[in-house]
Formats: sequence, structure tokens, C-alpha cells
Amino acid sequence: MRSIAKKTKEETAETLAKIHYANEPNLKHIHLLEPVNEEDPRDPIKLLEVVEGTLERWIEPIAFPADPARGIEYPVLIVEVSPKEYLAIKNDTNGLEQHGWSLGKELLAN
Amino acid sequence: MPATDQDWASAYARQALSDLDAREKLESTGAHKCHRLHFLQMAAEKLCKAYLTTSNGHNKVRKTHAYVERNLPLIARNFYRATNSGRILAWEISEIRKIARQIEVLAPACDDGGTRQDNSEYPWEDAQGNVRVPSEYNFPNLDDGPANKAIVKLIRLIRTAADAYV
Repeated sequence: MRSIAKKTKEETAETLAKIHYANEPNLKHIHLLEPVNEEDPRDPIKLLEVVEGTLERWIEPIAFPADPARGIEYPVLIVEVSPKEYLAIKNDTNGLEQHGWSLGKELLAN
Repeated sequence: MPATDQDWASAYARQALSDLDAREKLESTGAHKCHRLHFLQMAAEKLCKAYLTTSNGHNKVRKTHAYVERNLPLIARNFYRATNSGRILAWEISEIRKIARQIEVLAPACDDGGTRQDNSEYPWEDAQGNVRVPSEYNFPNLDDGPANKAIVKLIRLIRTAADAYV
């Protein structure tokens, strides 16, 4: 029997990003936050999402469980920030470093 | 000196924030969905109590049970309007209203006129006569997974509003 390979975290993040872009008109950017630990399935995928009009709360992660029914086989942390906060994060990486993270690749809508 | 309405509003808000912290901690332990939803429901309920205590006084709200569906959308409008950057769209209010309704009926005391026995705390008997257990039930009416951005908005709203009442 042929085994079906499980998606990597990066592939899963791309899937989730497409779902979010499709459902949130004010979503401007999504970045993967690094490090991405592909070895430990319990280690969450971390996404920074830039949403115009969101309440500004700086870097405040929200945790979610895996959702295999939608192709999300790992837990997820979502950090939502405003465009102004996004600029501040890009100009001064201290905020992310305090969580042990850095800004990774941008995930696109298509 | 007796406690003031402000004392009560702050107390409800602090407990709401603690309930959300508990939800975050449960996420990393692989807890059943009913427990995650339970803490989300409790946080939403206490935020609404903080809001109503501020506007109506503690004596008028403490015996109320069903207020999440009605009040969360009002709180959303107020808090987005009050911030410099925040702007909530009609679809977001609509999503919050839908989630608020589902959250409200998670409380055992709120069964939607007897039509919704499912709740996050106690076993119930379904229409086929089966006893259902919250920890074994997937609550199909309430998606709290990572694909549902409305949950992110709701949690951020509860944190922001609760912070304001603390």
C-alpha cells in the first residue's frame, strides 16, 4: 500500500494562508515566523498576519489546535498585527526576538 | 465600604482574561474541544458582565444568564469605534454575532428553549435517546480551529475590552 506523505509545516502554512486570504478582505500580508521545527509535530506553526483595521495589541499570539479535516495537521499560533505594528516589527526585530522568533518568508494568496 | 460597580466590572474583566489564559494553556496540552470552548464561553460571559455592570450596575446583571449573543456585537462596535486604528466591518460583526450565539448555548443554563441540549460541561440526552458526553462531542456548530479567523477577532476583542475594564 502506498503511504500518503504528510504535508510539511511550510506547506501546511501555505494552505492555511490561502484559507485566511480567501476569508479576510483586510488581510494584507502573512509571514511564517521562524524557527520552523519540522522534526517535532507538537511545535506549532507560527504566523504573523497583518490586518488593516485590527485592534492594536502588539505581539500577542493566539493558540489553535491542529485541524486535520481542513488539512492543518499541526497546532498553530496566530499573531495578528496592524500595518503600523508590522512596520515597527520590520524596523525593530526585538519584539519577535523576545519570543524567540524571527520574520520568515511571506506567504501569498495565490 | 461596599464594593462599587467599578470593583465588580474590574473583577469580571480580570477573570475573563484569566479564562482566556486557561484556554491558551489547554491548547498546548491537547485538551478536548469542550474544554477549550468552555473557557472561551466563560471569558465571553464575564466580559459581558463587566460591560453590563459598567452600564447598568452590578445588582441588575448578576442574576442574568443569557447575554453573550446580544452584548458581544455591541461590545465589538464600541471598542473598535473607540480605538484610533480599529475598524470593524459588517461581515466581522455578523461573524461575531454568529459565534456569540453558539457560545451562549454552550452554557448548560442556556438551551435555546430546550432545542439545544449540547453544552461544554454536562452529559445530555440527544433526540435519539443517546447520552452524549461533552468530551466525546465535536460541537459542529462552533469551529474554533485555526482556519476560522473570526475566533482570532473574538479573542482579541475580549482581551482588549477586558483590559479596558480592569
